[in-house]
Amino acid sequence: MSTTTAISAKGSHLGRIWVIARHAFTQLVRMKVFYFLAVFAVIAIVSNFFDLPQHEGPETMGINVLRSIKSWSLGTMTLFSVVLSIVATALLLPKDVEDRTLYTILAKPVPRLDYLAGKLLGVLLLVFVSLALMDGLMTVVLQIRSTMVLGEQLAMAQAQHWPQDAIESMRLETALHGPSWSLQGAVFAVFLRASVMAALSLLISTFSTSTLFTTIISFMVYFIGHFQADARDAYLQAGQAGQGMIGRMGSLLVSLVLPDFQNFNVIDAVIEGQTMPLVALAKLTLVGLYYAAFFTLASWYVFAEKEF
Amino acid sequence: MCSRKRNSEPVKNWQRNGILLAALLAFGAARMPYEAALGKQLRAERLTPPPLEIGTRDRIGQTSSAVALGGLRTLVATFLNLRAFTFFQDQRWDDVAETFDTIVDLAPRTRYYWETGSWHSSYNAASYYLENSKLPALRRREAWRAAICRGRAFLERGIRNNPDDWSLLANLGFLLSDTNKFPAFRDANETFMAAADAYRRSADTGKALPYVRRSQLYSLARVEGKEQEALALARSLYAVRKNRTPTLLILLFVLEANENPAEDVTQRAIEIFETPQKAYDALSVHWHRTRERFPVFGVAAALKSLETTLVISPEKSIFNQPLQAPAGPDDWFGK
Repeated sequence: MSTTTAISAKGSHLGRIWVIARHAFTQLVRMKVFYFLAVFAVIAIVSNFFDLPQHEGPETMGINVLRSIKSWSLGTMTLFSVVLSIVATALLLPKDVEDRTLYTILAKPVPRLDYLAGKLLGVLLLVFVSLALMDGLMTVVLQIRSTMVLGEQLAMAQAQHWPQDAIESMRLETALHGPSWSLQGAVFAVFLRASVMAALSLLISTFSTSTLFTTIISFMVYFIGHFQADARDAYLQAGQAGQGMIGRMGSLLVSLVLPDFQNFNVIDAVIEGQTMPLVALAKLTLVGLYYAAFFTLASWYVFAEKEF
Repeated sequence: MCSRKRNSEPVKNWQRNGILLAALLAFGAARMPYEAALGKQLRAERLTPPPLEIGTRDRIGQTSSAVALGGLRTLVATFLNLRAFTFFQDQRWDDVAETFDTIVDLAPRTRYYWETGSWHSSYNAASYYLENSKLPALRRREAWRAAICRGRAFLERGIRNNPDDWSLLANLGFLLSDTNKFPAFRDANETFMAAADAYRRSADTGKALPYVRRSQLYSLARVEGKEQEALALARSLYAVRKNRTPTLLILLFVLEANENPAEDVTQRAIEIFETPQKAYDALSVHWHRTRERFPVFGVAAALKSLETTLVISPEKSIFNQPLQAPAGPDDWFGK
């Protein structure tokens, strides 16, 4: 069934959005974006089986390898998800214009908001599936290595007649660096950040003239977004710091216009073995949804009156 | 092509942009208090790291800085850790220290980086200056002392960043009570007190292994003027059978002898160590541990009495065996 037929066949907004999302997802998959998963697989497997040169004492035996696996994997996931969400979103609208699919869809009784939401959902679906696959691979690799590390540690502890409480303490510490719910939470935080970036790229692409422009601006916003909290703090504490009016207004403008990505850096704490409370993740999800909803509505506002 | 007919006057472009900007600002104003509170909460719960120092951004270079600012700080720290290993192999101690300064700025919650950075300075660099360097003795001595002090300062910085980390605190205690390290600090009494305090704080976290509380006693017992406090701790530890290590039994004995000089030390030694032979062996070992600067109240008297009881010949007497001279920088680097 062609996209346009499928769209007209569905009456509800949700139905239309879902059809467009599936189409966008298929369109992106056909662009062979999943090839990067092969690169990730190599990184994950190599980081598991090669012991990188580093300082290892008997107390930390193997734990650093687990930290490295998490660090490499989550780092790669962040990189791929952000690149994927920006580039895929930046490509979608120009490609639909180029293929003339856009004209066919908009000629049907399809609200432009449904079209945009569907496109965004398609990209998010792609990012989600990619992250889920990478997460699965990371968890398997981490599980295998954790079991190996624990086995080595137990053998060492028994050979040295460690007391039971010391063995238990070591086991618990090693378990902190193995697969955990916090680690899944960190992957979800990676997804949330990528979702915000996808929604933002969608907004930019509605008024941009080229894919390149959207991509460059989105990446710039992404990096500056990691400073946004500094600007906000500078604004909020400006009275104490004796900052001038212009500086204060500049900080305020940056903090109002740009998204704050620093809060999503909870993944660093998880890599370091911290537990992520569910409440923190729920609050981050709210932030992500808030951004995604606003940027989508703003995109619609720009896109609604656009002439093609 | 797909534009719709409108009944009302179309909104002009500048008006649309103005409305969009206003919405963007209003959206920003609405989320700012929430995000600020969330940021504060996440930082308080140690889930987000403190902002990256300007100096760190300079040290890691533009590319790594961009990567770190892109939310991949721990990944950059992992790379730098590999670089630090190369510096360590080349014995470039200043580079090792500088790299670890950067690493802990990127990943301040990772215990491993604090412990490894401190270990490189206090142990590896210090040993290098002690053993291998071709520098003049006076400069070697100063470099050795400076390396140990830098390792201590690094560990203390790690503790300030991670006050609940039992292992960092225990490592500080271990460094300050190490026979080969404490002579680097000017006041041994103050150093042992600092070691005891580090062990105490570590044990108080509730996560430390039992040996940490015993180590607190081992350090506290060496602080002049803290004997009563040490005795109280020794008694509480002795009450748990698992804690009865040879050093703990000895310290209980000497601290009791200090508190009550009139007590029958021989009788008490036999009570603690179960038999005269065991008491004699344990006290003999303690008598030889001169480098650790443990107190020896009542040990000589008990040993003399036990030698009589056990009929030990003068040739085999512990008092006729050579004692290790207390070692320190004067011996290691020459006066």
